[in-house]
Amino acid sequence: MDGSGLRMAARQLVVLIRKELRQLVRDRVLLGFTVYIFSLHIVITTLGASDDLRRAATVVHDDDRSAASRELVQRLRAPYFTVTGEVSDPRDGARALDEGSASVFVDIPEDFSERLGRPDQQASVQLLIDTSKVSLGYLAAAYAGRIADGLGSEIARARLARAGIVEPPPRIESRERTWYNFTLDLRASFSLQTLIMMMSIACVMLPATAAVREKERGTIEQLLVAPVSPLQIMLSKVAAMVMVTLAGTALAVYGVLEPIFGVPMRGGAPLFFLMVALYASALAGLGLVLATLARSSGQVGLLVILTVLPMLFLSGTSTPIEGMPQAEQIAIQMLPLYHFIHISYGIAFRGEGIGTLWPSALAVAGIGSVFFALGLWRFRRQLR
Amino acid sequence: MNAARVVALARKEWREIVRDRIFLSLAFLLPVLLMFVFGYGISMDIENVPLVVVDHDRTPSSRAYADRFAHSEHFDFRGLAETERQGEALLSQASVEVMLVIGPNFERDLLSGREVDVQSFIDGSFPATRVPRALETYVEAIDAVATAEVQSAWLARRAGVGLGAATAVLHPIKLDVRYLYNSELRSIWSVAPTLIMFVLVFVMPMLMALGVVREKETGAIYNVYASTVTRGEFLAGKLAPTVAIGAVNATLLWLIAVFYFGAPFKGSLACFAVGTLLYLICTTSLGLLLSLLVSTQQTALMITSISATIIGFQYSGFFNPVQSLTGSSWVLAHAFPPMYYLDVVEGAFLKGMGFGGLWKDELILAAFGGGYIAVSYALFRKRSRA
Repeated sequence: MDGSGLRMAARQLVVLIRKELRQLVRDRVLLGFTVYIFSLHIVITTLGASDDLRRAATVVHDDDRSAASRELVQRLRAPYFTVTGEVSDPRDGARALDEGSASVFVDIPEDFSERLGRPDQQASVQLLIDTSKVSLGYLAAAYAGRIADGLGSEIARARLARAGIVEPPPRIESRERTWYNFTLDLRASFSLQTLIMMMSIACVMLPATAAVREKERGTIEQLLVAPVSPLQIMLSKVAAMVMVTLAGTALAVYGVLEPIFGVPMRGGAPLFFLMVALYASALAGLGLVLATLARSSGQVGLLVILTVLPMLFLSGTSTPIEGMPQAEQIAIQMLPLYHFIHISYGIAFRGEGIGTLWPSALAVAGIGSVFFALGLWRFRRQLR
Repeated sequence: MNAARVVALARKEWREIVRDRIFLSLAFLLPVLLMFVFGYGISMDIENVPLVVVDHDRTPSSRAYADRFAHSEHFDFRGLAETERQGEALLSQASVEVMLVIGPNFERDLLSGREVDVQSFIDGSFPATRVPRALETYVEAIDAVATAEVQSAWLARRAGVGLGAATAVLHPIKLDVRYLYNSELRSIWSVAPTLIMFVLVFVMPMLMALGVVREKETGAIYNVYASTVTRGEFLAGKLAPTVAIGAVNATLLWLIAVFYFGAPFKGSLACFAVGTLLYLICTTSLGLLLSLLVSTQQTALMITSISATIIGFQYSGFFNPVQSLTGSSWVLAHAFPPMYYLDVVEGAFLKGMGFGGLWKDELILAAFGGGYIAVSYALFRKRSRA
């Protein structure tokens, strides 16, 4: 192809991209929804997000009714616990857990204060925890243990003093520091997670449905008789998607992530946007591959769910990948999101540059190229 | 409402679904595949968190302390680093998530009864994967055990008593923790049942999403406008076949949860079946409602898939229990059916409950289903507005 032919091809590509963008912009409902998921939606979901035990409803059965038992109940308070009621029959406590009206039940025995008063006895307190939600159950046990230990060590100190031991016992004091997100502000990283999720679905679903629509309506025939190549048709759809994603990401980063939730972007915004473009084109390639496999919109919708959902929830956004079976770990690493998460969090929080991120970037590019080649091959074959 | 006409419409819908072989097989394959993929993949357990130790003391005591972490199932010991800087480099590349720094006088201070400082650095950049707060509590728990042993040994030496007696003196309050419903804290037992809720919230609306909008795009809807079929009959005819597919799917998912993943089912099957049917009607009619609102299939698929993701991920209580949510998210979670069905699922599977404890949730589900259908009825007009 000589110089003028290349210019011609480029001009054709621009025309095709404009056609794709115009189609998207003209669908006002779709446009409004796309703007919403890149802006207001991130604000709403992030503001309400929380991962911690919060005011776990606690029911108490206090058989001792002493100053010591009341002190213990007193300490089970916000932010982690809130005592919602006292019962006189322990069975009522178990029933409250059954009904879900409480998630923790504390049973203090009759001899609680008596045993505490002796110099060398242990008083046991029973703690029943609803662990149908595993993560909260564990936290409830840990926090209750911390509270009981706090009160216990005060009593122990008094016991030691009475025995004539005044120096404090040795202890290992662990000082924890959270790196990169020093205040442990869940919201900064959650806002980025929400952006990535929305971006990932849109990047596959939009081009896939747009391509299938052309098949369903028969407008693909028009493109076929036009003097453009399958490569140009594919590139135009991918390029349009990348532009939409970049615009949405810019809206999200400068309108929500940075000003509202203080995402630091330590590794620099230009690199971030470059990586978003790379990721978006890989996903758009996947969308086009799926479109070549489907004959109707209904089919492609289910195919997208089948591929994107596992990618979304298993790539490490929601649960750690180390806990998975080997085969699933390998499968997840063949999808671009796993690598993009490493890249985006590296840039946004850990301040990594391309110097350390290049293997992941290369992986996204490689996976994207495979999708592209596969899509082009299927697309060409269908045209014959 | 004329039953014969509803049946005729439902048969027409059914035939359309059956003729699209790929769609039909996906309608049954998708939920089962998702169930297996998520059942194996989603785990709430925190295991094998990569950990690096910087040990400036290098004494038997410091090694014993580091070993507590290395031998914990929660952490995966990735070796010693010479300096903090080396450890930090590993943290910054996310090749480890926790760095433990033991100071140079660890053993000396410990033996002389002084307070010993240990520092742990936790990667907080990605709380969604591995809640750093949970990691903090694991680190604290290991430290608490270590401290307790050191103290008991100290007091035993100091006061000349046995180790057990020393422990009793130092720990006046003993917490006897019993975990209810899921006593081994096994995450698959709690995950497999809730996956029924999670998978259906995606599959059902997606199966229904194109129901009306496809006819709008192809123009087939004009046949309906011109016919004697009433609005109610049309909607019922649309919903029935998809809810039937959903019922088969829900049964398959229940069988997988109970017999494949071994989740205990302790409650009333009848109550669970009623709740599930109501939930299927809710999720299907939500898809129908979205289908009525939009005018192109592309928009319908985009809005349905993203809404399902938002509801399933954020407002169902699947990843973040609704009790932990605050403000707008707490309100929104109550405005969608999944959290009520989650109560039914958890109640029927883990807590052994029946209608007696779950009727309220099922009533709310019925109200949601009725509400969605009522709104769809109000929105659907046989004459398109000019």
